[in-house]
Amino acid sequence: MFAYLVRRILSTIPVMGMVALFVFSLLYIAPGDPAAIIAGEQATPEQIDRIRQSLGLDQPFLIRFGEWLWQIVHGDLGTSIFTGLPVARMIGQRVEPTLSLMVLTLILAVVVAVPIGVLAAWKVGTWVDRAVMAFAVFGFSVPVFVVGYLLAYVFALELGWFPVQGYTPIARGIGPWLENLVLPAIALGCVYIALIARITRATMLDVLQQDYVRTAKAKGLGQSSILFVHALKNASVPIITVIGIGIALLIGGAVVTESVFAIPGLGRLTLDAILRRDYPVIQGVVLMFSFVYVLVNLAVDLVYTLVDPRIRY
Amino acid sequence: MDRRTFLKTTAGAGAFAVSGGLATPAISQGAAAKTLRFVPQSNLSNFDPIWTTAYVVRNAAAMVWDTLYGVDDTLTPKRQMVEGEETSSDGLTWTFKLRSGLKFHDGSPVLGKDVVESLTRWMARDSMGLMIKDIQQELTATDDKTIKWVLKKPYPKLLFALGKNNTPMAFIMPERIAKTDPFKQIDEYIGSGPMKFAKGEWVPGAKAVFEKFADYVPRNEKASWLAGGKNMLVNRIEWVIMPDAATAAAALQNSEVDWWENPVIDLVPLLRKNSNIMVDIADPLGNIGTFRMNHLFPPFNDLKVRKAVMMALDQEEYMRALVGDDDKLWKPLPGYFTPGTALYTEEGGDILKGKRDLAAAKKLLAESSYKGEPVICVVAQDQSITKGQGDVTAELLKRLGMNVDFVATDWGTVLQRRASKSPPGQGGWNMFHSWHAGADCVNPAGYVALRGNGDKAWFGWPNIPDLEKEIDNWFDAPNLEAEKKIIGKVNKIAIDNVVYAPTGFFQGYQAWRKNLSGVVKGPIPFSWDVTKTA
Repeated sequence: MFAYLVRRILSTIPVMGMVALFVFSLLYIAPGDPAAIIAGEQATPEQIDRIRQSLGLDQPFLIRFGEWLWQIVHGDLGTSIFTGLPVARMIGQRVEPTLSLMVLTLILAVVVAVPIGVLAAWKVGTWVDRAVMAFAVFGFSVPVFVVGYLLAYVFALELGWFPVQGYTPIARGIGPWLENLVLPAIALGCVYIALIARITRATMLDVLQQDYVRTAKAKGLGQSSILFVHALKNASVPIITVIGIGIALLIGGAVVTESVFAIPGLGRLTLDAILRRDYPVIQGVVLMFSFVYVLVNLAVDLVYTLVDPRIRY
Repeated sequence: MDRRTFLKTTAGAGAFAVSGGLATPAISQGAAAKTLRFVPQSNLSNFDPIWTTAYVVRNAAAMVWDTLYGVDDTLTPKRQMVEGEETSSDGLTWTFKLRSGLKFHDGSPVLGKDVVESLTRWMARDSMGLMIKDIQQELTATDDKTIKWVLKKPYPKLLFALGKNNTPMAFIMPERIAKTDPFKQIDEYIGSGPMKFAKGEWVPGAKAVFEKFADYVPRNEKASWLAGGKNMLVNRIEWVIMPDAATAAAALQNSEVDWWENPVIDLVPLLRKNSNIMVDIADPLGNIGTFRMNHLFPPFNDLKVRKAVMMALDQEEYMRALVGDDDKLWKPLPGYFTPGTALYTEEGGDILKGKRDLAAAKKLLAESSYKGEPVICVVAQDQSITKGQGDVTAELLKRLGMNVDFVATDWGTVLQRRASKSPPGQGGWNMFHSWHAGADCVNPAGYVALRGNGDKAWFGWPNIPDLEKEIDNWFDAPNLEAEKKIIGKVNKIAIDNVVYAPTGFFQGYQAWRKNLSGVVKGPIPFSWDVTKTA
């Protein structure tokens, strides 16, 4: 197992290298000029050229990529073209809000989606099943920003229970932290809940038709024991897989959610950086997200072994 | 329901709920009375007001750095950091004396050498500064409080240059910081202005914080824009960056922020319904809408084609696309200078006045060299001002019988593409849309878009020597009467040659909670004299 772990972690390096090259190439060929954005509307072409030169943006692709790679090898993500701040510091400032949002959303999604998915499978064909499926369709269909605005209107503006925007670090207390995150987590969680609930229902339906479940029923085991001890455990591999895949959804959804609720997270940082063509920041964030995604996949693979003893590495 | 309608509906419902006295927000109001929470026009992504000419940077910098002079609300330069000045009888030697008690935020005194280095860095980047640099013989600090500036020829607009609000402003920095290459970004934000920048709390893209500078000594005069006493009546100003307009509107209604610099027009009627919110014109100098044609290539290298387009364009159509039905927000603009200012003129502007004559425009176009080649119209879709204007122009050109190649893209791409001097079919362009702050268009000093100096001109590169000659004359004009006379000629020549097409004059709103007082109308959101009650 240890050898497998080391192998998997080492295998992230070429993956991230490929991702980095791909992203760097895309940015290089994409139109848009950070120097012109920096210089401002009143700048003359000559001034823009001087800024471009001073930032090294006039250098050929291979030199720029090589310099960036050299920095990465030395543990340096570079410096933002716009702020002049180290990219690592900028990412560091933004990690906590995004991580908080994602963890809370994940917890919320699993706590809600798995039970309702199981319930829908158990009550298949009934109004309960139809209600869960209707919710799943709603969750998939309604954009995050629509849910976000609705939640902000009802729970922030009308009821005054939560603030409309912002983020309070967890160091200032769980209460204020949660106060800022509940609405964004629900908004972001809707799609995720819908996804996990549907997979849970489908997998459970399959498992519930297996002989061993029929045997358990015949032996007179209680419903909850059959569902949550016998069936759910055997249905959990696809559910865990979709939870892992869903992390990518969360990363994408965080960009919109953080904008709607003005949360200073990585999603907003990425969006701002893309709009401004702040190449070092985009590359740093993409690298970090790639690394996280690879680690999540690794964690998912490891969890398989816990829930299914037949899986060995 | 599209996204925009949805935003209006939810924000409207929110406004109703709040004005109806429903539950108050959960956010803490304690200790907030001395903290002003402000939503700026855009993200403060860097903080060097010389390195970039972005208005948002200038606005933040005006709190942190002071200037030798500052313009008041009549755009007259008044003493700010200086106690007095002397000019030699030949107008070539200027001597400035700094006023007492000036300190930088690190506690060091403001000295003559700081001023010399700061002006030197500024001159390398500013259009007026570059002109002064060309005629400069000597700029020295004769002692800690005295600066001597010797020129080779008189420059009557010197005080305006030092006090203007066009970017880059002539901010004074400590010598060691001002020695930074003007094309490289500074990383220390030490000024002598009324507010200190809390660098440690800066989260670019999310938050910027300014704290009151206890040692700042304001002038005794009443504040007026950048002139007079800059009295800070709040201890802390937090800039909260909000990329989403509906969120900013909700936060203002919910009392989570106090002041929103540029509420989107669609949400203004809803904000007005809230009895706790005040909405008013932000900047009396407003903005000038524009589309620029590339003078280097067909078809717009032909004056007849440019004139045909100018003859056909209807400024009301453009302005309706920008400000909707709010007639208070726009004016037709038969010229290039900001309405309501001293040099405003309509001389030569008949082509932009009255009922539009499409038939005459088509006739002129037929007489021109235009042969139906595609007109590459590059339009940024992520900026409402450019998108609105671009849609109107595309329709206009079609009505004229031109072959429009409408390139819908983003602002970042437009900024890059417009700098290309390649032929339109090879990565270049024929036209793009933009706007200029009215504060930059009060005279030719910082009005780069009006220049006709060919390769050195702004994008589109008009080459109009007569225009340049008159602009040079303006810089040498001894008094306002002489300036007005020259500006009349400048306006006429610019229109006759269609330097660019002005699409109208428009203003925007600002909104603030009524527990703020002292908010003024101006080109910068001036924070001095603003008070906040709990």
